[in-house]
Amino acid sequence: MTVLSTRNLETFYGAIMALRGVSIDVDQGEIVTILGANGAGKTTLMKTIAGLMDPEKGTIDFMGDQIAGLDPDRVVQKGIALVPEGREVFPYLTIEENLRLGAYTRRDSSADDLDLVYEYFPILKERRRQAAGFLSGGQQQMLAIGRGLMARPRLMMLDEPSLGLSPLLTQEIFGIIARLNAEQGVTMLLVEQNAHIALATAHKGYVLEMGRIVMAGSTEKLRASDDIQEFYLGRTGETQRDQKRWKRRKTWR
Amino acid sequence: MEMSRVDTSQYLSFDGHETITSLWADRCARYGDRVAHREKELGIWQAYSWRDYYDCARKIGRALMALGVKKGEPVLILAEDRREWLYIDLASASIGAIPAGVYTTDSAAQLAYLANDSGARVLFVENDEQLDKYLEARDRMEGIQKVVVMEREGLASFSDPKVMFLDELYAMGETEETREPGLFEEAIKAVRPEDPRMLIYTSGTTGPPKGAMITHRNMIFQMRSGSECLEFLESDNLLCFLPLCHVLERIVSVEAPIANGCIVNFAESPETVFDNLQEVSPDSFSGVPRIWEKIYSRVMILRSEAGPIGARAFDWALAVGHRYAQAENPGAGLRLAHAVADFTVLANLRRMLGLANARRVTSGAAPISPDLIHWFGALGVPLIEGYGMTETAGIATVNTVEDNRIGTVGTAIPGVEMRIDETGELLIGGPCVFGGYWNKPEKTAETMTEDGWLRTGDVGRIGNDGALTITGRLKDIIITAGGKNITPAEIESKLKFSPYVSDAVVIGDRRKYLTCLIMIDQENVEKFAQDRQIPFSDFASLTRAPEVRDLIGGVVAEANRQFAQVEQIKDFRLIDILLTAEDEELTPTMKLKRNFVNQRHAALIDEMY
Repeated sequence: MTVLSTRNLETFYGAIMALRGVSIDVDQGEIVTILGANGAGKTTLMKTIAGLMDPEKGTIDFMGDQIAGLDPDRVVQKGIALVPEGREVFPYLTIEENLRLGAYTRRDSSADDLDLVYEYFPILKERRRQAAGFLSGGQQQMLAIGRGLMARPRLMMLDEPSLGLSPLLTQEIFGIIARLNAEQGVTMLLVEQNAHIALATAHKGYVLEMGRIVMAGSTEKLRASDDIQEFYLGRTGETQRDQKRWKRRKTWR
Repeated sequence: MEMSRVDTSQYLSFDGHETITSLWADRCARYGDRVAHREKELGIWQAYSWRDYYDCARKIGRALMALGVKKGEPVLILAEDRREWLYIDLASASIGAIPAGVYTTDSAAQLAYLANDSGARVLFVENDEQLDKYLEARDRMEGIQKVVVMEREGLASFSDPKVMFLDELYAMGETEETREPGLFEEAIKAVRPEDPRMLIYTSGTTGPPKGAMITHRNMIFQMRSGSECLEFLESDNLLCFLPLCHVLERIVSVEAPIANGCIVNFAESPETVFDNLQEVSPDSFSGVPRIWEKIYSRVMILRSEAGPIGARAFDWALAVGHRYAQAENPGAGLRLAHAVADFTVLANLRRMLGLANARRVTSGAAPISPDLIHWFGALGVPLIEGYGMTETAGIATVNTVEDNRIGTVGTAIPGVEMRIDETGELLIGGPCVFGGYWNKPEKTAETMTEDGWLRTGDVGRIGNDGALTITGRLKDIIITAGGKNITPAEIESKLKFSPYVSDAVVIGDRRKYLTCLIMIDQENVEKFAQDRQIPFSDFASLTRAPEVRDLIGGVVAEANRQFAQVEQIKDFRLIDILLTAEDEELTPTMKLKRNFVNQRHAALIDEMY
């Protein structure tokens, strides 16, 4: 079942067109990744879906409802949680307060979910009375993910969870992301600079360039593409010289 | 009456010079510090003089002599258009060697083929990217003794006994010249009119590429006859952007500026041509149909974005421009309307496109739609079509701005003779006929009739006014299962007039009916889909969108209406991969190659039958 589908989204920053017609589909239970260079429009896409920005054109269909143009809090109520780039935890609130804020829009009890979050992130339970500002970067990322989970979302959007984390911590975070997906069935839309780990974790991917989708498909297909290998996975071409400065032309196939 | 080929021993000279190289040396001496070339460096236009042209070429020439390059020996140049390309070109020709260009989009294997076929010992490459092609296939081109790299970037720590840099070559040439001056000038004198001036590799749509030898005499003839119908002035600014490996760009950006003293401006890259065109605003401009189609679709997109008032104003101005261009003697009312239309819309448009100064723009190398020529005429841009091929050393027939017979490719330039043989094939004779294929006498023999006419492989007719109309390629003629002969080029050019169609290939040889493979124009179709909220993600999904199929279906239906029943296209498919110049299916000028397309997309074709 398709949880989220965007059609021909166009989003502007003033006169600058950041999304030039983006159509993507996210199915129930999937992890879908959006790859792209800096400034490609990945975060803009997330913000547009979350209601932080309004699209100029295009539709966003979420579980059969049109959500384009809704206020962010309404989008959260509909069941989309955004784990923003750079964590954005509330530094002066305790960890538990931060987590409870994640469930703010819910009317039912969130006690089970708190236990669930603590189960996946034991370190948060250990330090639940401390102010979130004292956590390390990796722990803050865990907190941000946990906070997102507290809304019990139908779709979780993760914007660069690996930002500023060591490779080892990145692996740990992605391990948990994969587990959450497999064990809890959380559908995820994942924006990531680290294409290696994103392609290893996700089921499906889109490549965004200059606000347009240039390539789409299963992660196996993407991983096999020469362009992805050279431009996102950093494979160095096998030349006779030890270094290679020039880039081949992208063809996206 | 049996005609025979024009006597080739007839004396031909331009301004008293029988070879391009002696003409060039004379011009360099005459113009001295005047600007010959302009090229952008770090975003700023820099000027280079005729003295630079000569001095740099002399250094290269002397160094090549020191490297042992002999008279009659090909020298390969693999680079984008830039002034050094011309320096190497003239340096090689001056010492009697034969410069041959290699397309920058060619693969390592293709480079190896050209190296072996030409037997060249020296290869010039632009940068590390092109050098890698040599390094990749060096064991397959052992004949190459020296590779000269123009740019050092990215190669600081690189060294190889066979590879040197252009600045080292300059230094070597300078030392040679101080040691024993005057050898370069002597070499220029030794060049004979019948010597090859250049080797042009044909794109090879059938079989491997062949090197066509163009002699000095061929080019001197082009200068003489060309100057009678195509005016170049000393004050002209030109823009060089098509590959210099192609005979058309060589004539327009190398030979004609030498003969007429024009300034050549080099486009930064193939991607920036339209910006550079605007900056340079050349006095005359030669393009291939694809360029004109692109300009047309850019303007049409601008129109659609201009809002209802802007679009109405544009349509009105263009209609007035059209009537004005058609009228023999425009009346006072039309003249006034045209003045207003020109002032408010057309002149601005021309300035924006960079065609404001253009006295004449030409199209060649492939058929162009007559509608497009009319359209440019209405805009006030005098677009004329010419005809020629590598084997005619460039131009064979051309229209003139004064007498532009749209739909024809014009009359033969003075000295060129044409006739149509019994199969309908166009034969050409005269001093423009090339000197044969390099090391392929059997291929040369196949191209020539027994009495010395060149078989063009094109089917055409010559009107009573002497104007030539090309209807297609002889080998492209489709004979349907019903026995009907069809020349696909006419149908294809109708299809290509749509801004949504980039190129099309009509299929139907020995089949029941005609079908077509279409390459859509990515930019315009994406815009179409986006404007109508048609969802798509990548290029393949764009070609699968039903609305896009309907759009192209409409284009096909529109084209069909202009043809008889048997010539109509019954079905079509869209090519769902975005082709680039590196792909085998495309020529460097982005035309689809019929044979490759038929092979690569056989599955799509079979679907339609």
